[in-house]
Amino acid sequence: MKILVAIKHVIDVELNIKVKDGQLDLEGLQYVMSAWDENAVEEAVALKESHDAETVVISIGSDDATVSIRKAFAMGIDAGIHVSDPNLRYPDSLTVAKIINGVRQDKNFDLILLGRQAQDTDNGLTAGLLAEIADLPFVANATKIEVIDEKKLKVTRQADIGKEVIELSLPAVISVNDSINEPRLASLKGIMQAKKKTIETMDAGLLGIDSGEASLVEVMEFLPPVARAQGQKFDGDAQEITEKVVGLLINEAKVL
Amino acid sequence: MDFELTQDQKAARDFAREAAEREIRPKAIEIDRDHAIPDSVIKKISELGFLGSYFPAEYSGAGLDFLSYALIIEEISKVCGSTGVLISAHTSLGCAPVFQFGSEDQKKKFLDPMARGEKIGCFLLTEPGSGSDVSSLSTTYVKEKGQFRINGSKNFITNGGFKGTGILFATYNRKLKHKGISAFIVDLNSKGVEILKNEDKMGIRGSYTTAFAFDDLMVPEDCLLGAEGEGFHIAMETLNGGRIGIAAQALGIAGGAFERARDYSLQRQQFGRPIADFQAIQFKLAEMAMKIETGRLLTYKAAWQKDQKKDHTLTSAMAKAYTSKSAVSVTDEALQIHGGYGYIVDYEVERMFRDAKITEIYEGTNEIQKLVIAKELLKK
Repeated sequence: MKILVAIKHVIDVELNIKVKDGQLDLEGLQYVMSAWDENAVEEAVALKESHDAETVVISIGSDDATVSIRKAFAMGIDAGIHVSDPNLRYPDSLTVAKIINGVRQDKNFDLILLGRQAQDTDNGLTAGLLAEIADLPFVANATKIEVIDEKKLKVTRQADIGKEVIELSLPAVISVNDSINEPRLASLKGIMQAKKKTIETMDAGLLGIDSGEASLVEVMEFLPPVARAQGQKFDGDAQEITEKVVGLLINEAKVL
Repeated sequence: MDFELTQDQKAARDFAREAAEREIRPKAIEIDRDHAIPDSVIKKISELGFLGSYFPAEYSGAGLDFLSYALIIEEISKVCGSTGVLISAHTSLGCAPVFQFGSEDQKKKFLDPMARGEKIGCFLLTEPGSGSDVSSLSTTYVKEKGQFRINGSKNFITNGGFKGTGILFATYNRKLKHKGISAFIVDLNSKGVEILKNEDKMGIRGSYTTAFAFDDLMVPEDCLLGAEGEGFHIAMETLNGGRIGIAAQALGIAGGAFERARDYSLQRQQFGRPIADFQAIQFKLAEMAMKIETGRLLTYKAAWQKDQKKDHTLTSAMAKAYTSKSAVSVTDEALQIHGGYGYIVDYEVERMFRDAKITEIYEGTNEIQKLVIAKELLKK
């Protein structure tokens, strides 16, 4: 089985992200592999260990993206593709899906794994768009992947209510939920070996995609979340405070 | 001169930090309380590659340099001094002498399984009657028909309880003092090896410290490490490298306590403001940070010298003595900054305070380090 895992190198959302003049303030930010994509990488490596799969990661964007590709190597992925293009700093989901599909056709993958959404934009569109463009079976939000044979998988997905179990034939697209596995920490040896692997660089243009024109969606402005208004503090006699607070809840907050 | 770590060294440090936070920190209180590092933690650190970090891949190591190894010990010791010394004693004292003095066969046979974490290494030098005065050791060996018969006892053996692979020192003639000592690689799971007791200690309580008796332990001839009579030299050379490991451990314990004290002082409010606003606390933090940074420079320099194959006897003795003394004082101040909470187990600084003390004692007391330093300074 040949598996392609699409990973996104994103701003570490655990850090405090600031917005300046409608743009992200990139000063002091750190970038990491998007958390759900780590689950996708883990799943691919687990499939490699149990079923002898060949595993490749792809990441799109500026040169920093190779950091996440190397992290995937350290976790056990065999090879990496970096689609590099200065216009692809913030590509929309459709452009990303088209590029992944171009690489898929070029190299004949059986399974494309993705995180259910990226942790920076939270759009969750790429996997579905890719399946549509490629005209492949698609399961979103998978929580378990079992191999039936070379050409068939049994996939469990988290639905709105309960779980669904789906059988699908390969090639196929699957996006994974974070409950599917616990991504492994790489090992020291893995990290050292990861540095020796080469990353194949591909050009979006060669895949027939004009990166300058491709994005149909443009981000006009970033807005910081509205800060929570300061609360009120009450001191004094419990009886009096209670009356006051109840009064405010009825008259000002109008929640009672 | 370049004070920047290389990309590889940074990668090793960051990886160790992440692994320590994720795999070891949540267990640190339990490790201290139960006087044991759970098997699951040992399995994990071996899978992550921490038990063979600076040995070449051909012996199942990760192929890092010695400074990276020191960085790993530092990061792990920030969250758990017991796990830090497990790795340090295993690597510096168990694996390193085989790597440095062993034959190719011995490396394949003994270093490889240790680097993979299948066997935990230890160093059997100290005896009830001989600590700093190594040359007075009384465990003896006799050569008999292609074997060595060993009798005697050892104590305070870090990692001894795992009954893995030990580097054992014995003499064939006590009168010859250090010239009579030889080193042997022994399987501690052999007949003739008895564990007398596991020590109950003030700190690094998760570390498995054991006393041994050897009653007619038979060691095959090919387990002699180096040449006969070379044991004292092997011991001293090994301890030279080991000191850097202990310096890194002390640095880590101090660093862990400092980070907690700094975070606590920013969050703890008294008199209507964070206690970090008070100069009394600021001065403490400044003093602590100065000590840590000075010790870090010494330790990294010693590790760098070792990597460059330069003589590091002076620097590693300085690093070990300085960082261990600092660790005791930094953890003391960290506890003080925490006030009453610092005295409570859950806040972890009391454990670090207890863990720090041993670094002034083992792998050569600080008094011995000063003798080493003076000897180097007064060399003609």
